[in-house]
Amino acid sequence: MPTSLARRLLRDATAVAVVAIFMFPLFWWALTSFKPTSAIFNKDEVVFFDFTPTLVNYQVTLLGKSRAELAIDSGNTFGVGGGSTYDSRQTIVDSIVVAVGATALTILLGVSAAYSLSRMRFRGRQAYLNWVLSQRFMPPIAIIVPIVFMFHYVGLRDTLLGLILIDTLINLPLAVLMMKSFFDDVPVEVDEAAMIDGATRFQIFWKVVLPLVAGGVAATAVLCFIFSWTEFLLSLFLTTSIRTLPVKISTFVTSTGSEWGFISALGTSAIVPSFIFILLVQKQLVRGLTLGSLKE
Amino acid sequence: MVERAHIAEGARRAVTGTGRPFLARILSSEHPFPWLFPISAMLVLFGVYPLLYAIWLSLHKRNPVTRLSVFEPAWNWMKIFGDQRVWGAIGHTYLYTGCAIVIELALGLLIALLLDSDRKGYGVLRALMTLPLVVPPAVAGMMFLLMLDGSFGVLSRGLYAMGLWSPAHPILATSSSALYGILLTDIWQWTPFMVLIMMAGLRALPKGPFEAAAIDGATAVQAFFRLTLPMLSKIIALAVLIRGVDLFRIYDYIKVMTEGGPGTSTETLTAYAGAIYFKNADFPYASTVALLTLILVVATSTLFMKIFRVRF
Repeated sequence: MPTSLARRLLRDATAVAVVAIFMFPLFWWALTSFKPTSAIFNKDEVVFFDFTPTLVNYQVTLLGKSRAELAIDSGNTFGVGGGSTYDSRQTIVDSIVVAVGATALTILLGVSAAYSLSRMRFRGRQAYLNWVLSQRFMPPIAIIVPIVFMFHYVGLRDTLLGLILIDTLINLPLAVLMMKSFFDDVPVEVDEAAMIDGATRFQIFWKVVLPLVAGGVAATAVLCFIFSWTEFLLSLFLTTSIRTLPVKISTFVTSTGSEWGFISALGTSAIVPSFIFILLVQKQLVRGLTLGSLKE
Repeated sequence: MVERAHIAEGARRAVTGTGRPFLARILSSEHPFPWLFPISAMLVLFGVYPLLYAIWLSLHKRNPVTRLSVFEPAWNWMKIFGDQRVWGAIGHTYLYTGCAIVIELALGLLIALLLDSDRKGYGVLRALMTLPLVVPPAVAGMMFLLMLDGSFGVLSRGLYAMGLWSPAHPILATSSSALYGILLTDIWQWTPFMVLIMMAGLRALPKGPFEAAAIDGATAVQAFFRLTLPMLSKIIALAVLIRGVDLFRIYDYIKVMTEGGPGTSTETLTAYAGAIYFKNADFPYASTVALLTLILVVATSTLFMKIFRVRF
């Protein structure tokens, strides 16, 4: 039937066009990172592909090449002599430490809570769940000023450990609820069978049930990693010398001008790991984003 | 009988814990305490205690000269009523949240319907569609700051070329349009969230009613409004709630794109609290504005949950 074929093609074309529109900012961002300064700041026309690709932006931000030296090579003299530093190697290391540390701590603390909330029936269980859930609804701004004070007193301010702890706090409610929903999917009969064989609660959890939900726990870990990796407000308030990637990138905007080449290079590098991870956990994404309340 | 003996023995051990070292006793216990203690300690120490601390702080008046805070419970809370910036920030927060929810939900639903197909290639399109979600919001703000730049931004130039916008009023540098420039970033990043949720909802719908409607000669549009939408209502309400709570505390985009400006035209509650903290160092008042954000978000979401009967 011609009409239905035409309709199908129209739908395909619309779908591709919509996705292309949503991909455009990412494409433009990545493209900008390979542009020399003159192509980025061209006020006469918008430069699409009419430029000589350069790796200068990546060399400065990722490899810590000297800006002055590269500026001479490439004619990229914009902002040379400014006080900011664009070498971001330390930032990348710190961001990885914080995101991995917070993810590990979240899973460690969260998985036992998720298991017991899924399996044990005790008084106040629903109230406890609601309380955990309510933590996710709290705007971070409401607690950040006291946390800055607390961390200042105990020496956790501007430390990697402090960031790990605070990211863990932010991740925990979501991680617990998400992992609980994975545990809920495992029939209780599995536990009962193991119990009849004489296994203790911990043995059941560790040797029987945990391997069954390993995929779900891994997906939760990926989401926790991404949330820590992208977290901005708390890192901004809690740090001055240590900078995580989002905060570091935001410092490239100065009153004299924005170093768009460097910003887009570091920004693109910051997005790539998340992209790879997220493609691995597509299926579990909905569960994570909806606090596990909406099972897919 | 052997099994029964086992269970009885296990239960006895669990209850009395006799003849076992401390660790083993805990590991075989049926009590949730050891399982929940670490996370509870974490949430109390870094969640509950700071909140109480914030309330305590908000009851103090800070002297900007001596940098000392004295207990004066009503000071900050009274100050809020006379502070025009607070009222402006409340207005911006609700305007932004409302606009973003409506647009993201409508777009998300349409795109979900569009991409919900089992045919070849649609899986790739759906995967691509989720990518904006994992871009750090601060970076997404930067991306749009670059594209909306008044003199060389690709989006601005496109709008000028189409005659939709005048170069005399750069979007982010004009107080009447700056908030909408930020909104555009939000829509780009979070429409995919709605697409994902709605797609999960569409997948879970029963087929029967749609087949019956098709036999009765209902059009696709009728089926959508009479069947799809009502059946999705629970999921829609939940998505609106979750997204709304996040929108209400918007900070990243504003911080990197406009810093609340021009003037205070894009200042939301969180941004204002941040500005008080960083610029004035008036910590008690910053805490008070932050607590006001919390109060409003709890009140609004509770009201929403009551009206639309949302349950988790």
